[in-house]
Amino acid sequence: MFFLQVKTTLGISSVLVLGTLGMFFMAITLVSIVVFHQRRVIRFNKQIQKMEEERQQMLLRASIQFQEEERQRIAADLHDDAGPLLATARLYLNENLIHQEPAVQLQAIFSAKQIIDDSIQLIRNISHSLMPPTLKNFGLEAAIKDLFEKINGSGVINASARFHDNRQRLNDEKELLIFRILQELVTNIIKHSSAGFIHLTQNAQGNIVYFRIHHDGKGILQKDFEKMEHDSTGLGLKNIQSRIRVLRGKIFFEIDNTHTYYKVTIEVPRELIK
Amino acid sequence: MFYFLFKRNSKDKALRVILLYILYCIVNEGMSLYLQSFGSPNTVYLFLLFTIVEYSFFCYFIYLILPRDLIKKSIFYIWVGFLLFAFIDYVFFSKPREWDSIVSGVECIIVFFLCIYYLYSQIKGTDSLLIYSTFNFWIVIAFLIYFSGTFFLYLMADRMMSNPAFQKLYFIINISFNILKNILLCVAMTMKLNHTVKQQKSVIPDLGDDLLFTNKIN
Repeated sequence: MFFLQVKTTLGISSVLVLGTLGMFFMAITLVSIVVFHQRRVIRFNKQIQKMEEERQQMLLRASIQFQEEERQRIAADLHDDAGPLLATARLYLNENLIHQEPAVQLQAIFSAKQIIDDSIQLIRNISHSLMPPTLKNFGLEAAIKDLFEKINGSGVINASARFHDNRQRLNDEKELLIFRILQELVTNIIKHSSAGFIHLTQNAQGNIVYFRIHHDGKGILQKDFEKMEHDSTGLGLKNIQSRIRVLRGKIFFEIDNTHTYYKVTIEVPRELIK
Repeated sequence: MFYFLFKRNSKDKALRVILLYILYCIVNEGMSLYLQSFGSPNTVYLFLLFTIVEYSFFCYFIYLILPRDLIKKSIFYIWVGFLLFAFIDYVFFSKPREWDSIVSGVECIIVFFLCIYYLYSQIKGTDSLLIYSTFNFWIVIAFLIYFSGTFFLYLMADRMMSNPAFQKLYFIINISFNILKNILLCVAMTMKLNHTVKQQKSVIPDLGDDLLFTNKIN
């Protein structure tokens, strides 16, 4: 009907040409919109991917830095403590000892034995700091309780732990990772929060194991954690995050409704021992 | 080129459909010219058949390239519906030896809809591949532009074909958009050809030298 009306004023040719051109440009516009939109989306996705890669790089760097610091600490412990102790023991047990009086010899051997005992203890301590024997032999609950007992022994802070559902142990690797995360969190609380107590609760629901640390000091919230995670500082928090990623878990930093206690909750998917 | 594409992409159904469509277009053009040289009035039936076959090729092609969803499932019903519509229009409403303007118009609208839906599905998808580097995109664009350009032409053809001015314009517009469609189809084929060559290069295992090297050592 429209074309019949237009025909009288514009003529067949004009209607046809205008209609065809209109449709053609509409199609071209549509295609252009699709192409430009897709390019924008791809650019945006690439930016996000790049940011994620940078974040991964930062976490990796933090992890490497942490390993290096750990190695340096072990090297320093061995060099500064074990080295002089063993050197001293060697001095006691030098070649001239056989020319000495028996009483002097006995005294020297006794001193050397004392020093070697100290060295053994020192090396054991270093070894325990790398892999707590309680964790390996008795599991996470025992290791955490052991750690908390040591903290309580200092008398500065009151630490307690309660495991509600720990009948099935996680695998060794997971237990070690969780232990390191909890250890780091507890160390941070002791160092920075001026808390009077720390309480750890463990529970499990379905396939998820939950750990929650309460403390009454000055804590951080989720947004602070995310911010610090992207900063160049906060090596410990980056390590926590990278370990959480390895565990495919989640971590939440919150404050309770009364704004009295800060809480850190960790969710880890359970994996039964084979 | 046809041989190369057929041989190298024998499993690519979408490409086969398009190649068959191109072959059909060539045969149809030849037959149309042959019939017109006799002055036969049956050319109109050839066009009606062309509309249906072209639509069928397009439906099958779009069915192959669309992601699995409701529209893909309903393409078969859309195709059957169109065939029924064309049959009813031809038997009950069209005069003998008349242009199938209504059928062509409906075909154009369905093709627009399916093309736009394809483009929408491409936008929605998370594929990081640029849309214009794909074979399917250029084929869809070829159909979209061809049908948008000839939409008014076919719609007005049944009433205006007797007008000499319209006949002249019909020839120009139809030829122009046919050429444009063929250019776009060529671009699509080039995309496919480049992709195939790249694939061929990438799948050649670089083991020959290593094996020779190992033999020499032994």
